[in-house]
Amino acid sequence: MAKPSPSPHKPRRKAKQAVNSISNIHNVGTVETMSRAPAFPLAAFLWPARGTVSQWELLPLILMAVGLFRWAAGLWGYSGFEKPPMFGDYEAQRHWMELTTQLPISQWYFHDLQWWGLDYPPLTAYHSWLCGKIGSLIDPSWFALFSSRGLHDPTLKVFMRATVIISEYLIYIPAVVVFVRRYSRLNGVANWSAAVALVAILMQPATILIDHVHFQYNTVMLGFVVASMSSMLAGRNLWAAVFFVAALGFKQMALYYALSVFAYLLGSCVFPRINIPRLIAIAGITVVSFAILLLPLVIGALSDARNGIDSRPDIDGPRPPLPLFQGLADYLDTEAFYYPVVEQLVQMVHRVFPFARGLFEDKVANFWCALNVVFKIKNYPAELLQRGALVATLASIAPPNIVLFLRPRKELLPLAFATTAWGFFLFSYQVHEKSVLLPLMPMTLLLASSHGLNKSTRAWVGFANILGCWTMFPLLQRVDLAMPYAVLTLLWTYLLGLPPTSLSAYFQEGGNNWTQWVTLFIHGSFYLAMTLWHVLVQALQPPPDKPDLWVVANVGVGAAGFSLCYVWCLGRLVMQSEILPRSWFAKKEKVKTQ
Amino acid sequence: MSEIYPSLAQCAIVAGALKILLFPAYKSTDFEVHRNWLAITNSLPLWEWYYEKASEWTLDYPPFFAYFEWVMSQVAKLVDPAMLKVYNLEYDSWQTVYFQRFTVIISELLLVWALQMFIDSSHGASKRAAQAAAISILLSPGLFIIDHIHFQYNGAMYGILIASLVLARKKSTLLWSGLLFAALLCMKHIYLYLAPAYFVFLLRAYCLSPKSVFRIQFLNCVKLGAGIGAILGTAFGPFALKGQIPQIFSRLFPFSRGLCHAYWAPNVWAMYSFVDRVLIILAPRLGLSVKEGALQSVTRGLVGDTSFAVLPDVTPRVCFALTLIFQAIPLLKLFAQPTWDNFIGAVTLCGYASFLFGWHVHEKAILLVIIPFSLIALKDRRYLGAFRPLAVSGHVSLFPLLFTPAEFPLKTVYTVFWLILFLMAFDRLAPASSRARFFLFDRFSTLYITISIPLIVYCSLGHGIVFGKSYEFLPLMFTSSYSAIGVVGSWVGFMVVYFTS
Repeated sequence: MAKPSPSPHKPRRKAKQAVNSISNIHNVGTVETMSRAPAFPLAAFLWPARGTVSQWELLPLILMAVGLFRWAAGLWGYSGFEKPPMFGDYEAQRHWMELTTQLPISQWYFHDLQWWGLDYPPLTAYHSWLCGKIGSLIDPSWFALFSSRGLHDPTLKVFMRATVIISEYLIYIPAVVVFVRRYSRLNGVANWSAAVALVAILMQPATILIDHVHFQYNTVMLGFVVASMSSMLAGRNLWAAVFFVAALGFKQMALYYALSVFAYLLGSCVFPRINIPRLIAIAGITVVSFAILLLPLVIGALSDARNGIDSRPDIDGPRPPLPLFQGLADYLDTEAFYYPVVEQLVQMVHRVFPFARGLFEDKVANFWCALNVVFKIKNYPAELLQRGALVATLASIAPPNIVLFLRPRKELLPLAFATTAWGFFLFSYQVHEKSVLLPLMPMTLLLASSHGLNKSTRAWVGFANILGCWTMFPLLQRVDLAMPYAVLTLLWTYLLGLPPTSLSAYFQEGGNNWTQWVTLFIHGSFYLAMTLWHVLVQALQPPPDKPDLWVVANVGVGAAGFSLCYVWCLGRLVMQSEILPRSWFAKKEKVKTQ
Repeated sequence: MSEIYPSLAQCAIVAGALKILLFPAYKSTDFEVHRNWLAITNSLPLWEWYYEKASEWTLDYPPFFAYFEWVMSQVAKLVDPAMLKVYNLEYDSWQTVYFQRFTVIISELLLVWALQMFIDSSHGASKRAAQAAAISILLSPGLFIIDHIHFQYNGAMYGILIASLVLARKKSTLLWSGLLFAALLCMKHIYLYLAPAYFVFLLRAYCLSPKSVFRIQFLNCVKLGAGIGAILGTAFGPFALKGQIPQIFSRLFPFSRGLCHAYWAPNVWAMYSFVDRVLIILAPRLGLSVKEGALQSVTRGLVGDTSFAVLPDVTPRVCFALTLIFQAIPLLKLFAQPTWDNFIGAVTLCGYASFLFGWHVHEKAILLVIIPFSLIALKDRRYLGAFRPLAVSGHVSLFPLLFTPAEFPLKTVYTVFWLILFLMAFDRLAPASSRARFFLFDRFSTLYITISIPLIVYCSLGHGIVFGKSYEFLPLMFTSSYSAIGVVGSWVGFMVVYFTS
């Protein structure tokens, strides 16, 4: 819903023929810079920096300020703090540092799977190894085998928090900084507006809450994805492939974006003319990156086998069958030199993709879980559900990726990534509530797009982010993190002038078209529902026969809101790609302006 | 005139969010001190407040602060009554932490209000500078470290002080300025250090005629005298009726403490101690006699009761005399030209003198200098030149207050952020001076700031890596001696600026 203009000759039509960004720069974010007063508080904070301050003075200040909020938020508890017997994500990450530093590499994916067995791809394991090695220099007892389980030494906490923040500052933050620079130039956005967008993106509450408070390393994976998108913007498609493999290698969840990466890279090899060498290069570099990613695991398996180190010292007797692809065993010689490698890789895949689990875990605000409230779909056979989820996911992610394939334009990347990730989040199998970070990331990057700080984009990006945080509230509440949740989300809404702190994002100057009222109505009702829900949760116990009532209500509202976000992203993608015949498009515009 | 962005309120909101996030941070014994005072004032009758000693943290602030605690305890009752039990020592339930931390943030609104008053009192071209100075005070790393992590209520106190300083700007509100300061003295007596400047200024500008020092404005004297009498009466009256004044004063002024505080405040005595330590090493070569008894205590470096091995000992009387002398010098000029700028300068210099030469000065007292100075630091570039080394050294000297690893990034990153932001902003905003700059002094301040970077790195990280746990006093001593050079340097610089402008 870009700003409606009476003339069908919209400036963005230029972007179609002008893939080179220079021609776009003339339209230097005029709306933001020319205005007299900042439209929202974050702009006010950067107001003195307009024009005169170089970004090399501004950037360090921004990075320090967002770092302070991250570290201060990290003073609060983490998931599983003093919650025996299993503790939580924090213990999982710590345990992986323990097992990777203490055990031979061939045992990593086999070691005591009941206690937070390693179930992330190899790059996470290597990262854990590095962190564990560094941590052991400081205090070896933090990562001592077995005896360190469930450790909650306060200095260890400081160390763990530091690993998250350092990993983020090495990967996610540079990637976002570079992405915002390139993307805003591509869209002809002024440096100052780009700086505002950068702060807004880096203060995104959901990532801070999950990574720096609740504890995980999502920003590493997200950072690789942003780096991949940023390489696409720079036209370095091979690097894009490498970074994306790194993202996948860090966390399999990056698969949410895989189809978009594929669609864009393939599209860029086909349009405007077919370019076979490029396709081969991309395919080749992808394969090579995967090979490099797996290389330590393969070498480890081979050398451990040669040195007589068993990958499963706990099991005596013959080798157990492969957990997946059991048919393979007929063709392979279990005594051959390569068999440990096969076993290792199959086990890794088995751990990383838990096909045996249910359609959804806990309560997550996606389509299936919401549907389950109405129809008890969990009673249907698992196979049917898996197939249904596959079909629905494919149906939801096909449109954005077809668009991206046919119009592989750089400006469309965040929208296409966001739409695809929303599709995955809503319809795929085995979704966790934290996965909402994946669609939120590219959607928030839209703030750096042309007119990204305008009210309508801000309103929708803000809506998605606040709703996303809100659906994670039960998760955070469980470990007494309501306070950082409230502070960080309210701070972000305040900075961006969004409800509940301000309604200004819904009133365009002079404009009185009906879209803004519809948006206000829809968003308003969601914000009201969220507020009401918080009041109810605080004030009332759910009825005894429906103990999950509040969580279910959260899921229902969340799923509905996320569906709207999906629709909005898709609609905008279709409009911006100008893939529909122009006659339809003009008609649509006319309706809107009336 | 259009609004200046960001506004003070916007900064207060964002800073407030960060401060709430600091709730679980390290808190010093001052947290327990204030909890104990809540308990004392809430559960005991007035006349037992200054006698109660179940906790070692007895009530040692003047009565208005005790009343303030009493008011807060009325709310605390609703939050968690257990924190109000006098014998519930070291009690820190999460409700108590939330409550006490919140009261610091809420009471800091006083500071926001006073700073807004300061901005509103400036006009024309200086308004932008006033806003920058106000925001720098609001976001001061000193208040951030001392109030929101270490735990104290300085924000509210300095709010009252600034309000009083701003009221002195207009002739019509001069009386209120004096009365507000009297009330502040009855809350926290550390502000006695600044009282000489108030005394001289009110005497000259309010009690004596502006035309001649020999004409006394009797009505004004009566108003001021009666007002101060009423305030002191409210504060100390109830205790005076019971004859408790000597007891209160023994609590307020414990003279049994040593010259230097547990950590060395960066003042002249820190440099004196440093020289003494160097002389211990050099003594055999120079043929000086070393007092064996003092050697032990100095080696520990952390002791409250410092005695010197080579140099002569310092008595409270010497400190007192030096403080008074160096306070008196700027006051002579204030008496001759009682302008507001001179008044703020004199207040700052009184703060300097007492910080540099006082007995048992705590490093937190540096705010007594930094905060009044901030109000005039942007007057012109010469003022700023004197302010810069103070801003660096004063805040760096607070680092040893927080020693836990979790707070290390907070204090350093926040302080560096503040220094870069405001020294850059001030540099743009301060107008050129009409007088020639001091070539040497500018070089000094640049050199000083440059050296501070490796020193901070060494003291906070390098030392631990090289020496581990041994020689723990070394980084402390470096920090305080180095900071002392900065404070003394900026003091000398400001003295010159003050007397030549």
